[in-house]
Amino acid sequence: MPVYVDISRCIGCRSCEVACQRVHGGGSHVNVHYAGDHAAVPVFCHHCQEATCVKACYTSALYKDGERTAFVIDKCTGCGLCRLACPFGVVWTDKLAHKCDLCSPNETPTCVLTCPANALSTDYEAASRRARERAAMMAIRGGRR
Amino acid sequence: MIKVDSALCIGCLACSNVCPSKNIVREDTAEKRTITWKTCGEECDLCVEFCPAKALTLVPESEETTIAFELVPCRICGARYATEPMLRRIEAALPKELQKDASGLAWIWVCPVCRRDIEAERATREMVMGRSRRSP
Repeated sequence: MPVYVDISRCIGCRSCEVACQRVHGGGSHVNVHYAGDHAAVPVFCHHCQEATCVKACYTSALYKDGERTAFVIDKCTGCGLCRLACPFGVVWTDKLAHKCDLCSPNETPTCVLTCPANALSTDYEAASRRARERAAMMAIRGGRR
Repeated sequence: MIKVDSALCIGCLACSNVCPSKNIVREDTAEKRTITWKTCGEECDLCVEFCPAKALTLVPESEETTIAFELVPCRICGARYATEPMLRRIEAALPKELQKDASGLAWIWVCPVCRRDIEAERATREMVMGRSRRSP
């Protein structure tokens, strides 16, 4: 998943949603969900290695471009199969399909640049190190995670 | 003119989307999707070319055809979200191990809105447990 979410940092402000809407002219490809008052999480395209949306697409409008699950709008017929083939519900079809493109060709997705809480990153190493450090701190403080 | 093989048609939106002369009309209600192929005299075969199910052919003579698909209700919320042949097609295209999520849920038969909810619930579960333990 090329955009990594640090859920403990997410403040549920929906800035990523708005940033995505601004860049893609309308529909957002990020959906912020709330778990009561306790947590919020943006639900994103995972850019799955074995992407089921790519498997469902018969015109090759969706394809794997390295880590990214990329998309050529010209080949899309709007059939709606990819929307139904996404296990996370993050491909949409409104006449034509749309989904997260990691703001290609920009190097960093706009949601990552926008997040005021620093909850989003494209750096797997940093995200994973932070999670390990936090788990270690919790273990020191009494084994609570 | 367009001939439709109703045994092959999966009720997707491809042909009506690509038709430049709006001769293929679809109507979605809460319960069903109706697609009508009008008698079409255009020199064009875009719908035939782009049909994922190869259900369309061009023939010299044909009458207006209508097919109605009952939409499948989501197993969680009950909202109707897709035609059954579309879901069956996706199911057939995926390896068995990808048809279920970690909890064994057959996600194909759950609507995209509920799939997002499940994903959010999965992502926040541990965090919510930790935070509710700490709060008074």
